[in-house]
Amino acid sequence: MIAPRTVLTRLLTHPAFILAAIAALFFGCSWLSGGTVQILTFLMLNILLAQSMNLLTGIAGQISLGHAGFYGMGAYASGILMKTAGLPFVVSIPLAAAIGALSGYLVSFPAGRVREFYLAMMTLAFGLIFREVVREWDGLTGGAVGLSNVPSTTLKNLSVFGVTLDAIDYFRIVVIVTAIVMWLVHNFIQSRHGRAFYAVHASEVAAGCLGIPRAGTKRQAYTIGAGMAGLAGGLYAHMIGYLGPESFDLARSIEVLVTTVVGGLGSMAGQILSAIVFTFLPEKLQVFAQYQFIVYGAILAFTLILLPRGLAGLLLLPPRFIKPASLRRAGTAGVAIRPVDSDRNAALVVEGVTMRFGGLTAVDDVSLELHPGRITALIGPNGSGKSTLVNVVSGIYQPTAGDIRFFGESIAGLPDHRIAGKGLLRTFQDPRLVPRFTVRENLLLGAHRRYRTSGLAAALSLPSAVREEAAFLASVDAVTRMAGIADVADRPLESLPYGYRRLVEVGRALLAEPRAALLDEPAAGLSEAEMALLARMIRAMKDAGLMVLLIEHHMDFVAELVDDVVVLDSGRIIYHGDIEGMRKSPAVIEAYLGTSETEGAHA
Amino acid sequence: MEDFLTLLLAGVSVGAVYGLIAIGLNLTFWTTRTMNFGQGSVMMLCAMLTANLIARGWMQGLAILAALAVIVVLMVFTEMYTVRPALKIEGSMGWAVSTLGVGIILQGCAALWFGSQAVAFPDVIFSAVDDVVIFGVHVSLQYIAVVVLALALVVVFELLVRGTVWGRAMRAVAMDQDFAAVIGIPVRAIVLGSYIASGLLAGISGILVAQIGGTVDPAFGFDLVIFGFVAAVLGGMGSTPGALAGGIVAGVLQQMVGGYISSAAQHGMAFALLILILVVRPQGLFGQREINKV
Repeated sequence: MIAPRTVLTRLLTHPAFILAAIAALFFGCSWLSGGTVQILTFLMLNILLAQSMNLLTGIAGQISLGHAGFYGMGAYASGILMKTAGLPFVVSIPLAAAIGALSGYLVSFPAGRVREFYLAMMTLAFGLIFREVVREWDGLTGGAVGLSNVPSTTLKNLSVFGVTLDAIDYFRIVVIVTAIVMWLVHNFIQSRHGRAFYAVHASEVAAGCLGIPRAGTKRQAYTIGAGMAGLAGGLYAHMIGYLGPESFDLARSIEVLVTTVVGGLGSMAGQILSAIVFTFLPEKLQVFAQYQFIVYGAILAFTLILLPRGLAGLLLLPPRFIKPASLRRAGTAGVAIRPVDSDRNAALVVEGVTMRFGGLTAVDDVSLELHPGRITALIGPNGSGKSTLVNVVSGIYQPTAGDIRFFGESIAGLPDHRIAGKGLLRTFQDPRLVPRFTVRENLLLGAHRRYRTSGLAAALSLPSAVREEAAFLASVDAVTRMAGIADVADRPLESLPYGYRRLVEVGRALLAEPRAALLDEPAAGLSEAEMALLARMIRAMKDAGLMVLLIEHHMDFVAELVDDVVVLDSGRIIYHGDIEGMRKSPAVIEAYLGTSETEGAHA
Repeated sequence: MEDFLTLLLAGVSVGAVYGLIAIGLNLTFWTTRTMNFGQGSVMMLCAMLTANLIARGWMQGLAILAALAVIVVLMVFTEMYTVRPALKIEGSMGWAVSTLGVGIILQGCAALWFGSQAVAFPDVIFSAVDDVVIFGVHVSLQYIAVVVLALALVVVFELLVRGTVWGRAMRAVAMDQDFAAVIGIPVRAIVLGSYIASGLLAGISGILVAQIGGTVDPAFGFDLVIFGFVAAVLGGMGSTPGALAGGIVAGVLQQMVGGYISSAAQHGMAFALLILILVVRPQGLFGQREINKV
């Protein structure tokens, strides 16, 4: 018994179905009326806009409230370039996309320094101001009267390489462009780039600690999204032949957002369904026009709360983030972990690090060293500053004083993604994974920093990109076997119990091929069997020559694994040495009120 | 010279209102790190209702109070049904979309009930032709009244925040919600209160701007919120004196650019200023750098 959702998803995403649909539009349009061809051209533009918004909002989690601004940028750019500057169509359209992309980049430029919603407000501002500027700048844009006589099929003065295009030719061009763009975006989403977008969406901090630069990723998302909107705008300009500021107002931005939200954030197929609904429905329901704004407002106000996955959530399976072609080529020859090269400088040296929050000193003049192939336990009562120290070393906080050197190089105060990029990985006390990703997708996220192929190679699905992905997928397989999670590899993480999440997080750190790993309470909440799997992974790290720092309360677990112990209390180191010495240390016994033995017994 | 003084006063006057809008945005930013993206419609609705009720023969004061009462109900609804549930969805800015949605609904309703044409806003304080002569220049009494009223509101607001139990509780919630809840502060009530107060400030700002501009229409408000946001960012998100200073700087710059260069540049200027300040000094003139706790 196959669920209808599965059937529908398989049909809609089947290459044969997609090619047939494109062919039907391409060849079938010559039998359609002029009006139908025009509305179908509009549909294609709405699909492009919805896909652009989906990439930005659904995948990267960034909100655009001024998409009509980017769309209008492209439309006016191409219109003016062709009409006034006399550039050919094949030049002005790519320029429209480029100018759209540039405005997206500009709007998201402060991404590194501000909270996420600033960017949403910036897009709202951009959209409103774009329209005002267009209205006032008569000389260039035609002002409120609009820009007419733009070369277009309507006016029969649009020609490409000497051939005058009619509405049907133009529709065919738009169909092909839309199909190509969607193919590129689809490949991009199912690559490490798309996964990085989604990782930033799910947790910026976790993404940063995997080496994904959050500001750069957001800028990339706005740039690509706005570029696609600019392209749609350029195509719009030469369909109608007239551009007026009211075509690019807030209502248009809202329409795009509504389409995307209803289609289902994250689903490309959902966007097409939704674009069809919102292109044809307003045409059919003229009476509805009066209430359109109110309905759109209500959709925005409540859909994300009541039906967060939109139409796609009702009708389709959730989208996946790995190309099936790469999965097929993965093979079984992967290794979970390879020995790391070691050199003279190989050490993580924490020297006199202090971290103060206002008047509170969380970490006070702490010094310690990690060496290859050694596991150091960091223990101490709750609130003793263990996690804060890990946060400082991994670059989430900047230390108030002190230095941190990794392979002889100072890394204190570097942003988290740069530190991760150097091979210093960490896990979190509360596992921070992407809930909607499968185990396999989550693990692959760990390998992010090891990829060498570009976003363009991924979008074009070049053999090099597929090969690279397949190689990492083979390593993912090996890690799932080592962690004992091979049988749930294709289950979404949110459907799995807590213990698995911990194992996935440690496995994800393994895939980053780190030189040092900081594990923040990895055994908390694990069953005995899971703990044995975890211990196996940690030993493999040690054998491969990693430096390991292990924060843990579970004394039996620690005793079996570690080489050194560092005990923190109130932010200061009170003991440093082996585990036997720790059990006898008066300072440690006092810190735990003389209960260090029983602590181990019941934890 | 006369032009310059007129533009300056107009700038300070509108700028003071931008400051009020910014303080409204700051309030909810303090308590929940959110802001109402539909705030523009709150301003519009308050001004629209006031104008309409006065046109039906209501007493001015009564009309304003009734409009503000509607705003209170509206903000309670916004907070309870669109912000609170959206905040529960982790890693999402759903609240930005849902509050904008409420704003769009209001704009749609206003167009339906009152028509989409601009309506004249009655002279509540002074008429547009009342003026006084300062240093030999005629300046509008309306402008002066707006500045005085806005400043008085800021002072009252600061006194309330600094001097009352509720103000202190709100600052505790701003500092650390979980901790505030532990020590027995009714966090939910404070958050709701911050939305109501934010809406009231927006409503009053709407009336003041409509008074200066003379008309109000359903689309009124959205770009005012942008200027309010510019003011808040310029002054440093969360800072009350900063909001006022930022508002006045933005208002004066806007009037000067509009007066001496062009009205197209006036809008571009706001956007350029926003990007510039976020790139050069994201904590604004008076704000402090935030530490994001993990």
